[in-house]
Amino acid sequence: MAEPTTSGGPGADQLRQMMREMIAARVFSDRAFNLQRQGRAGTNAPVDGNEAVIVGTSHALDPTKDWVLPQYRELVGLQRFGDEVIDRYTLYVMGHPGGGHLPEPIRVWPPQISLAAQIPHAVGLAWGMKLRGEDGVAVVFFGDGASSEGDFYEAGNFAGVLDAPVILLCVNNGWAISTPTSRQTAATSFADKAMAFGFPGVQVDGTDAVAMHEAVSAARERAVAGDGPTLIEAVTYRLAPHTTADDPTRYVPEDVLAEWRERDPLLTMRRQLEALDLWSDTDHEAAQADADERMELAVQRAEATPTPPDGFFDHVYSEPTARMQRQREGFNEHYGLTGGGAS
Amino acid sequence: MSDTQTMTMLEAINHTLHREMARDERVVVFGEDVGHNGGVFRATEGLYASFGEHRVVDTPLAEGVIAGAAVGLAAAGMVPVPEIQFLGFSYQAFHQVAGQIARLRYRSQGRFEAPITLRSPFGGGVRTPELHSDSLEAQLANIPGLKIVLPASAADAKGLLATSIRDPDPVMFLEPLRGYRAIRDEVPLGEHLVPFGQARRVTDGDDVVVFAWSYMVDVCRRAAEEVAAEGIGVRVIDLRTLVPLDLEAIVQGVEDCGRAVVVQEAVETNGFASEIIALINDHALWSLEAPVARVSGYDAPYPVGQLEDRYVPDQGRIAAAIRATVASP
Amino acid sequence: MSTYEFRLPDVGEGLEEAEIIEWLVAPGDSIRRDQPMVEILTDKSQTELPAPTAGVVAAIHPEVGEIAKVGDLLIEIATDSDQPAPPAPPAPTAVPAEPQPASAPGPAAASSGVRPKASPAVRRRAREAGVDLSTVTGTGPGGRITDQDLVAARSAPGPVAGRATISTTPAPSTDAVGQMPIGEHPLRGIRRVTARAMENSWSIPHIHGMDEIDATNLLAGRAKIKELLRPAGDGLTPLAFLVTAVARALRRFPIMNASIDTEAGSITVHDRVDIGIAVASDDGLIVPVIRDADRRDLMDLATEISRLSAAARSRTIDVGELRNGTCTISNYGSLGGRFATPIIRSPEVAIVGFGAIRQRPFVVDGAVAARPTLPIATGADHRLIDGDVLTAFQEHIAGLLTHPVSLMVA
Repeated sequence: MAEPTTSGGPGADQLRQMMREMIAARVFSDRAFNLQRQGRAGTNAPVDGNEAVIVGTSHALDPTKDWVLPQYRELVGLQRFGDEVIDRYTLYVMGHPGGGHLPEPIRVWPPQISLAAQIPHAVGLAWGMKLRGEDGVAVVFFGDGASSEGDFYEAGNFAGVLDAPVILLCVNNGWAISTPTSRQTAATSFADKAMAFGFPGVQVDGTDAVAMHEAVSAARERAVAGDGPTLIEAVTYRLAPHTTADDPTRYVPEDVLAEWRERDPLLTMRRQLEALDLWSDTDHEAAQADADERMELAVQRAEATPTPPDGFFDHVYSEPTARMQRQREGFNEHYGLTGGGAS
Repeated sequence: MSDTQTMTMLEAINHTLHREMARDERVVVFGEDVGHNGGVFRATEGLYASFGEHRVVDTPLAEGVIAGAAVGLAAAGMVPVPEIQFLGFSYQAFHQVAGQIARLRYRSQGRFEAPITLRSPFGGGVRTPELHSDSLEAQLANIPGLKIVLPASAADAKGLLATSIRDPDPVMFLEPLRGYRAIRDEVPLGEHLVPFGQARRVTDGDDVVVFAWSYMVDVCRRAAEEVAAEGIGVRVIDLRTLVPLDLEAIVQGVEDCGRAVVVQEAVETNGFASEIIALINDHALWSLEAPVARVSGYDAPYPVGQLEDRYVPDQGRIAAAIRATVASP
Repeated sequence: MSTYEFRLPDVGEGLEEAEIIEWLVAPGDSIRRDQPMVEILTDKSQTELPAPTAGVVAAIHPEVGEIAKVGDLLIEIATDSDQPAPPAPPAPTAVPAEPQPASAPGPAAASSGVRPKASPAVRRRAREAGVDLSTVTGTGPGGRITDQDLVAARSAPGPVAGRATISTTPAPSTDAVGQMPIGEHPLRGIRRVTARAMENSWSIPHIHGMDEIDATNLLAGRAKIKELLRPAGDGLTPLAFLVTAVARALRRFPIMNASIDTEAGSITVHDRVDIGIAVASDDGLIVPVIRDADRRDLMDLATEISRLSAAARSRTIDVGELRNGTCTISNYGSLGGRFATPIIRSPEVAIVGFGAIRQRPFVVDGAVAARPTLPIATGADHRLIDGDVLTAFQEHIAGLLTHPVSLMVA
């Protein structure tokens, strides 16, 4: 268990804020799961086990300068990058097109379904930032499973050649749906794969938010200094089903799961803070209640957001083609709608 | 001092890249061998020397990340102009083209744009090995979010490329391999933009209209000259952009002539010619005196060098189709 | 107080039903939002459903062991009136009932029961002309209906009883003549070809002569020959006599069987007499040419006229048979017309038109008598033909037809 330091590491206030955000991430995630069970949201992926990875990372970044490219579990933990992130995520899980639109100035990309496709994006983004003389970094999250995709290798390789200010953050939570990491790669670790790219790879305890904060801070410093990319492997465990459509009891060994539940990042952080007298039961209950209230607000907002029935015609191009306009008119006429929409 | 110059299509492309990079410092050219080598066809010749290693970048041999990095670059505020060395290699990048480049605006509902111009040569007749000549415009046109641009003249190569680079949407800029050096015409030296969705009438005639794009346009022009001697008036239309498409030129052509032929190098089944015929069905059916004829490649993968000359439509096949369409009672 | 009705949602990406395993709450229980209410078993997994709202359980419906379908009411929860009940899950998107395809208006069943085949353009023209394609016989490839078939379909078959006519082509039915829908139409096909030909013809300075011929002897002679040659003589039309007379007159006045080219500065007097017979149709002029008209006897001419007309109508005529005539006969009498100013077909210099034979007052031996009269109108190119030649030519034809017996001598 990493001790928070007074120099370089997060201070007391920041540690408490991190705890609050981790609790909120779990609360948001639980609610989204329940919404699916209630028929009010579509398939979504619980965050359980990833909270420290996400929140530790986000606190090491500058939301006004750095970019985060998530895979799909991360949005519930990126509150630091914008209050509206959770509103957008709720729209996303409810299948509303607005869920993909995180408005300026939020420097977070929408979730990526084609796993690992976001890694070349991050490399290109970092490259662009470097060309424009911006002193930020791009952090891209992807899972142990995603690291087997060609995009990971192509992007990692290119990032090394470019010396791009990018952090490749592989969240190793032990499972890619039902595929354990032992079947995902024969490499000793995911961090080791950085050797092929020509830049450092570090393995970090992903259940420890402070350790994550330290590792990402160091990687950020490297990148901003022009020393290039880092591959961070955050080791944790998936404590919930892969998604609302998954039944892990079919393949996750109960005993291993039980062990890792003891290392639940929320528990770990709570113990750390309590040991430093920075956290109490009251704080915990208040944090949960606040998160619950915030999520309820997000749900109400989302369920009150109308979905234009012809919305899928919008934003395909900057201006719709004549053909799309004809199609849209035909669509609205057939379904007896008045139509409208952006572009 | 003339305000035009005779150029090959390749020269026109190179000339335009120079101009656009000078005009807009956000333009970044990258791909395999585009920098020091100036491109395997010399399309990017001289850019590295003029604009430096940060704006003209030799990438590793990895089409997937060439296409994928373009997404990130665009989001960072640059104007990416990547090159895929041969269009057949874009299969390696298809998931980024179809699932990411085409959808960045859509997925983010307008927060991010992808003003990417992805240049790539295709087409046969130059004795390249497998996969170097494949025509993919039909597959690409089927992906909402992309614009598909195919110049058939040097002047259009300039005008369309400039428009592509300035367009806020992603453009697949497909260049005719065989046309690089074989197509040569007068190119305006100053600002020259050709808008999308506006076809070009190459020859005039009222007996039959022939629709084509890319290298086939010139072959159609020659076929038109051949049958003109027999009294058949052929209107050859260069469509220039398949997305967006100049539907009016198609409808007008069929209404004026009553008979039509569509010519494509690509595989016959599901080629873009099918789409044009479907549109004729939708918008100009009652003017048709005879079925629309298709002259295209065959339903076999693009063949080896010894067999390719007859795979691709030639002047004879096009002329025969024109005659048959005109003679159809 | 209000009641929230919770129905079984699709929890498994395409679920249709689930089995109730265990109820975790009972009526009367006070529950909080997201509290697990029931365990269900789907074909994917066993899962708990959390309460959508806080409240008091009013009623539970399916029993343990029952299979509930997606959409079935599971539980009713009484909520406080001041606590807004969450919106019910969106009803599955109401897919508008597919409009039943309007029964395609079928064509009136053709006798063969097969749908008529025609190009889109022909269909449009048929529709505009009010022609039902299923009543038209198609002579194109595969039985396809062509424009000519449309024309033929719109023509009345055969002569009307009691009307003396020397037409070989059936008169078009009067209800279709001159019909064209209001609006713009493209200038296409035969119409366009004809229009261009007329533009060429109009550059010729025409003079016309007209006369009326006593057709008494002509009709009597024809009747006699038909009787003598029965049944072969049935095909002998008056037109055969007209062609004979015109051919004879062209030999007598060769300048009428010529071409003039002012640009080349030449006049060509033809060695053959190839007479085009204008076949009047709704679409325009088709003019098959009788080769060596002066060398054929009446029956030969009648047969040839019949063959050419049929071929022209069915569009099987060879292009060669439409070219290079030296003079033309326009038989507008078949349409019922009497007097006209026929237009010369460039590069010919003459055209002879015949109107319908009608009973008219005629002066015979100083007294007025009713006679069948045949109007003739001859057009000539005034660049080559002067009025005296035209008149002499026409007079000669008139003489031959008034006294057809004179055709027996050269």
